[in-house]
Amino acid sequence: MQTMTEPRAERRNKPGAPVLEARNLKVHFPFRRGLPFVGKYGVIRAVDGVSLHVNEGETLGLVGESGCGKSTTARAIVGLTAPTSGEIYLNGARIDGLSSSAMFTHRRDMQMVFQNPFSSLNPRMTVGAIIREPMDIFHLHSRRDRRLEVMRLMDLVGLNPRYMNRYPHEFSGGQRQRIGVARALAVEPKIILCDEPVSALDVSIQAQVINLLMDLQQKLGVAYLFIAHDLAVVRHIAHRVGVMYLGRIVELADADALYASPKHPYTQALLSAVPVPNPQREEQRQYVALAGEPPSPDRQYPGCPFAPRCPIGDEHCREVAPQLAGGQHLVSCHKVET
Amino acid sequence: MPEPLLRVENLRVEFKTDDGLVQAVNDVSFDLFPGETLGIVGESGSGKSVTNLAIMGLVPRPPGRVVAGRALYHGKDLLQLPERELSDLRGKKIAMIFQDPMTALNPFLTIAEQLTEVTQLHLGYSHQQAISHAITMLEKVGIPGAAQRLWDYPHQFSGGMQQRVMIAMALSCKPDILIADEPTTALDVTIQAQILELLRNLQTELNMSVILITHDLGVVAQVCHRVIVMYAGRIVEEATANSLFADPRHPYTLGLMQSAPRLDHARAERLHAIEGQPPDMTQLPAGCAFAPRCPFAVEESWHQQPPLAGRPGGGRLACFVDITKAPRKAAR
Repeated sequence: MQTMTEPRAERRNKPGAPVLEARNLKVHFPFRRGLPFVGKYGVIRAVDGVSLHVNEGETLGLVGESGCGKSTTARAIVGLTAPTSGEIYLNGARIDGLSSSAMFTHRRDMQMVFQNPFSSLNPRMTVGAIIREPMDIFHLHSRRDRRLEVMRLMDLVGLNPRYMNRYPHEFSGGQRQRIGVARALAVEPKIILCDEPVSALDVSIQAQVINLLMDLQQKLGVAYLFIAHDLAVVRHIAHRVGVMYLGRIVELADADALYASPKHPYTQALLSAVPVPNPQREEQRQYVALAGEPPSPDRQYPGCPFAPRCPIGDEHCREVAPQLAGGQHLVSCHKVET
Repeated sequence: MPEPLLRVENLRVEFKTDDGLVQAVNDVSFDLFPGETLGIVGESGSGKSVTNLAIMGLVPRPPGRVVAGRALYHGKDLLQLPERELSDLRGKKIAMIFQDPMTALNPFLTIAEQLTEVTQLHLGYSHQQAISHAITMLEKVGIPGAAQRLWDYPHQFSGGMQQRVMIAMALSCKPDILIADEPTTALDVTIQAQILELLRNLQTELNMSVILITHDLGVVAQVCHRVIVMYAGRIVEEATANSLFADPRHPYTLGLMQSAPRLDHARAERLHAIEGQPPDMTQLPAGCAFAPRCPFAVEESWHQQPPLAGRPGGGRLACFVDITKAPRKAAR
């Protein structure tokens, strides 16, 4: 243990400094439809200028509908997808474009938990081996201590350490997600990117995993970038929340402020569409119906990407792109006074 | 009390699996009344989907088998009907829409081919009649440019639009009963709101009964009149939606409601999670299947199956304990 506390202290940031920062991140995928040369060529702007930061020990929630680019943002940040442009900083050091060997040292600070607990664990490895592997890679602890460490981590995430020689298929979905969390924690990261970590789980199990993530944050001070489509889940776990639409962040604010008084018309529509488990309130609920569906990200919009569906959008909105602005409560809309 | 349109009695469905025999549906009885929306809520493996597959005669056999029970519809037992008579009813009088419209539509056929088949088969429409009816149906479910979109293939539609096509197909013959199995689970929340609104309007317009299978209590609150809660193959509680949400009486129902994160709640310390894991369906306990996770379980719960009996406030309830009075304790 002693060997690793030393470098940890050195790597620690000033309090309150962002652990992770992305500036003007863009991920574009070129595509071709139809035959070579005669087909249609174009580019899908999955992420189109996203800037965000996550402070030490805090949770930033990123919400939006499918295809809005929230998962691609996370994948680009950890380097699973190469960003087209933009800058990514981890603990103040720039990490985008690094070679995999140069990236190696940074990986320890940033881990990921995936959506599907069935496909993100190697079925041929025992649970103990899965949790131990990151420690092997980073040469953490002595060989003997690694085993103790695996047991400690299993206990920490609420799994019985006696099960370390079992295989993933012997566990339920919620337990497997705990294994994924233990694996991410094995290298003591400063931030964990959680990509829809509870959306594959049943409601009663969801709550367990959310509680676990919140407890771990309190105990270990780890930060989360928490990506989800479920606004209620994000409401529960996040300190700050960013709302994405068509590759851009349209609103970013403290969770309480965003949920209490959403400013962007898209956020308002999104929040009003979530059904509340209470029939009386359901009857009174006014929801802002959105016409149509999210447009395809292969088109480029000169103006606001939400303008075609926006209940209050006008000609100006369709022509001039709004900028994300406004101190603590950032919003990207011409119609909102910031 | 009006006559029920569909009466399911003591339904039992078993599945043979590698790990042993699974009682997927165990002694399930319920009525469906004309014009109502009945919600069936439960988590994966609770038997909510299998119950409805059994009614439709769609339980894959093997490995599945309907062991006992009746499903009475206009005096006929659907479970005993010969396949030919059953397929006459399916799609015509009882229609079904599934969770994932992408897999329920045939990717090789145009929407026109898939949408006209049902009316030609069941109502004997000519090709022309079927086409014009299909256009009417697509317009009814809110697909713009229906006359042109009819000739598109499923992949040319978005997920929400595909689900609209599925609804148009299911309602083509004006069924009495629509079984909707997680119809909005694969959709985004703004699209979900559109589809639920559409289903609600069409139900009133066509005066049909709907069985809505879902795991989402919010969806239930939005559209259902009456709700059945299932756990480990059995009905544990049944009540009107208002009564169930205002006054849940089964510990599992209460747990479900408390564990779901809600928009109208602030960032709290912890969620009230239901402890423990979902039951192993091959090794259900002798008593109440929820007992190992239940904060209210009493000695009886472990040894005896609680009978599904009258529920205070109306409906049915399978629990030995009055949770409004009993002390809560740590689960064993």
